[in-house]
Amino acid sequence: MASATLTDSRWIARGEERTSLSRFLLWLAPWTVLLALGVYAAGLCLYFGLNQTNLDNRFAFGLWIFLDLGVIALGAGAFFTGFLVYILKRAELRPILNTAVVVGFICYSGAVGILGIDVGQPLRFWFTFWHPNTHSMLTEVTFCITCYLLVLCLEYIPILLRNRQLRKVPSMLVFEHQLHKLVPVLAGVGTLLSFFHQGSLGGLYGVLRGRPFAFRQGLFIWPSTFFLFILSAIATGPSFLMLVTATVEKVTGRRLVPQEVFRRLAFISGVLLAIYVAAKSIDTLIWLNVTSPSVGFAPWQYYMYKPFGTPILFVEIVLLGLVPAFLLTYRKTAMRRGWLLTAAGLACAGVLLNRFVLTVQTLAVPTLPFDEFLQYAPSWQEVASFGGVTAYGVIVYSLSYRYLPMFASPKGENTHVSGD
Amino acid sequence: MFPGIDGFHWTAAHVIFLSLFFAVVMTIVATVVSAVRRTARDFQTKRAIDFCWKADFAELPEPERRCRHELAGRVMSRTCDNAFDCRQCSKYSQFAVLPARGTVHSLGLDYPEDRFYHRGHTWVKLEEGGILTVGLDALAEHVIGQADSIKMPAIGSDIEINETAWRMKKNGNEIRVRAPIEGKVVGIGGPTDGWYLKISPRLSAQNPALLRHLLRGPEVYGWVSRELERLQVELREPNTPPSLADGGVLMPGLMDAVPEADWDSVLAETFLEV
Repeated sequence: MASATLTDSRWIARGEERTSLSRFLLWLAPWTVLLALGVYAAGLCLYFGLNQTNLDNRFAFGLWIFLDLGVIALGAGAFFTGFLVYILKRAELRPILNTAVVVGFICYSGAVGILGIDVGQPLRFWFTFWHPNTHSMLTEVTFCITCYLLVLCLEYIPILLRNRQLRKVPSMLVFEHQLHKLVPVLAGVGTLLSFFHQGSLGGLYGVLRGRPFAFRQGLFIWPSTFFLFILSAIATGPSFLMLVTATVEKVTGRRLVPQEVFRRLAFISGVLLAIYVAAKSIDTLIWLNVTSPSVGFAPWQYYMYKPFGTPILFVEIVLLGLVPAFLLTYRKTAMRRGWLLTAAGLACAGVLLNRFVLTVQTLAVPTLPFDEFLQYAPSWQEVASFGGVTAYGVIVYSLSYRYLPMFASPKGENTHVSGD
Repeated sequence: MFPGIDGFHWTAAHVIFLSLFFAVVMTIVATVVSAVRRTARDFQTKRAIDFCWKADFAELPEPERRCRHELAGRVMSRTCDNAFDCRQCSKYSQFAVLPARGTVHSLGLDYPEDRFYHRGHTWVKLEEGGILTVGLDALAEHVIGQADSIKMPAIGSDIEINETAWRMKKNGNEIRVRAPIEGKVVGIGGPTDGWYLKISPRLSAQNPALLRHLLRGPEVYGWVSRELERLQVELREPNTPPSLADGGVLMPGLMDAVPEADWDSVLAETFLEV
């Protein structure tokens, strides 16, 4: 008896090779389970409140805020690549543009989702817009992230509408074309928004006078962390894009973007990382010698609690900063894919460690004489929500890769008349 | 958020911050509205169909975008960069006068010389009174055989060149047949009539540009030969190397005869789909 085979080939771009639908569903299955668990945990947090977490008034920032800061930094590749391609006209980076948008969309929508759980009261989400506290950097962050997510959605739509079936609807294809023509405007808006919210996320810590470990001096109203966050995000965003693309290439066994794109991204990432490391080192020296003593704290006091000893500072600045910056820019290592990806991985780990230190160590270190060193471990609901966002990212990226032109360049773009 | 709302104060911080925010929001909204308006305008001015075809054309594989003059052997190699619209091609008259060097041989398919052929496997025949008859060419008929259902346009409707003229269904596959010419539909036929549409063209029958974009003469042989080769390669047994049969003619009702083939891809390439 003939059996009907489930196939989705009509939705896959012609000429693109993809694994069978059954294998693809098998790949999605564990991620879907993880996503379901995350949704359940998020539901518990939203229904019962933050008593489901191990957060409290003293340790208000935990795994979720670390995740937010981390993915927003890594997702900076989206706005920065758009800036390079559309504003600075670096056309050689076009092959990576679509995947940058999708990665950015995943990172920001995931961050907004987690923030939604953390803030709670979803029915009152509009309060933050209707009654904004314009003196709070968090308000700027909220406004910018929301607007930028909207921009990313608009940048994602043209990619979505190029799906093989959707493009058969003429209005979709024409709208995609018209929207795509306006993407440079969106890229400009995205750059402005990202600049401010990346900065404000850093500034948020720099203005914490009650937390001398994070408090920084700066320029006008902006503490130094404002600029360091921007620099670190645009330095590691391209590295994260390289990592994602290389991982997909490994999984699919296909070369998706020219090696030249990798090298270009690596160089940009490396140079920016070197500038960031230099700025971070200067900032750290000023903080150790001026800022911290001025508020009555000897620097060693911050590093007397295990595991937050001075090695963490060395790891962040040297091992995960200076070393990858060198590897990404030094010609001999940048030419070798293994070194390139190792360096990109180190750079991404570095920015994650930086966000972890600023989020967790800042709150853990005592600041008053009667304070104790605080310890925090996330509850299973926090971990499950974290896992849910990760699964969401994998699922959205997998679906996008399968059904959308993530890396394919239009075949007509480079047409030439050969017989003339 | 707004003056009068709880929490708003007429301070520099409020005014600057909220002005910036609203400027960004308005830019985003204006971008979307602009894209929607441009889309609507493209449909009103009938540029949308042309755009869709050009977008699809750009996605066609290189072998499907060969110039008619290459097919006829007038030039060695040339990729069309005019979306098959020879009426807009600056090189057309330069190459059209060159002698055709293609070998004309029997294809085992009937391609009458009094007709003009579109790459989407339709033919056009100029009738008395300036009306154009449109039908499916022999290769398409051999591939599809008897369609399960056909959806034709209404009489009186306007059709643009390269937009979907009519749809057919066969074994669960939808086939969208592109219009080879623009004009008003004045008659509807079907497989039993030997033609599908009668069209009153937008350009007059005396206008030399009316049918210029369609293939004829040696170009047809060059094109159909390549199409037959493509079909043989695409319809080969799975996991077998490409090989071309020597001799033989195309059998009718190919979709019924080789149901296991990847008809989604084959039909897409045959009817210039993406």
